Amino acid sequence: MAFYAVYIVEAHPTDIWQMKSNIKDNVLFANPKSDEERAFVAGACVRKLGIKFPAIIDGIENRTEVAYTGWPDRLYLIDRDGKVVFKSKPGPFGFKPDQLEAAIKKLNRVQAAK
Amino acid sequence: MIIINRGALNAQASANLLFTTAAVRNKLAKLLMQKPRQQTLITIAVVLVVLWGSFLVFIGWAMRQPPEKFGRVMMHMPMPAFFLFPFETMWSQARAGNVQPGEMAPDFRLPTLDHQSEVELSSLRGKPVVLVFGSYT
Repeated sequence: MAFYAVYIVEAHPTDIWQMKSNIKDNVLFANPKSDEERAFVAGACVRKLGIKFPAIIDGIENRTEVAYTGWPDRLYLIDRDGKVVFKSKPGPFGFKPDQLEAAIKKLNRVQAAK
Repeated sequence: MIIINRGALNAQASANLLFTTAAVRNKLAKLLMQKPRQQTLITIAVVLVVLWGSFLVFIGWAMRQPPEKFGRVMMHMPMPAFFLFPFETMWSQARAGNVQPGEMAPDFRLPTLDHQSEVELSSLRGKPVVLVFGSYT
């Protein structure tokens, strides 16, 4: 199974809808205006949060985010044939890793039975 | 043998309609004839309901805009306003998206963080893939 962090458009940059929690945690980044700026913030995110699986960066046109409605955060599980088998509700309310875990276990059972 | 008196039936229907119309007219008249204080309260209630409805329509529209535009709307909204509408329910509906379970995942080709390689979803066929969408802020 492959895991990818898909880094997309910022949720609460300093110049758009900044959150007090981000000020408290010193997560202060302006909204990136180019692929390079987004990659810079993504790098800081991966290092600071210690994300172990590979990160891929959506382009500044947000095409992948639009295709998946991924903003502000969302989880997907895709089976080996390329079909979506689990799609979480949109974050922050719907970002529930335990639901993803249950979907992975279910997919593993289905594939083992084949 | 049953003889249907159409004239009598029509007359009965007309009478019922007249009665209903008269009842509605009487209720409206009563509302209009109420004391000024009650009228004021009713007016205020109607205005508040209309304002709240307009606010819901506006928020629903904003939630369907691109993230940056939505964020620019929400950054001006005071925190108490968030308690005036069912944010989570409206958010889930507005961000339901086009891709649903059972459908093919849209293909993409995106660079890795170090820009040393690219990942194409369709090239990963044969093993399940988990995508975690998000950002730092």
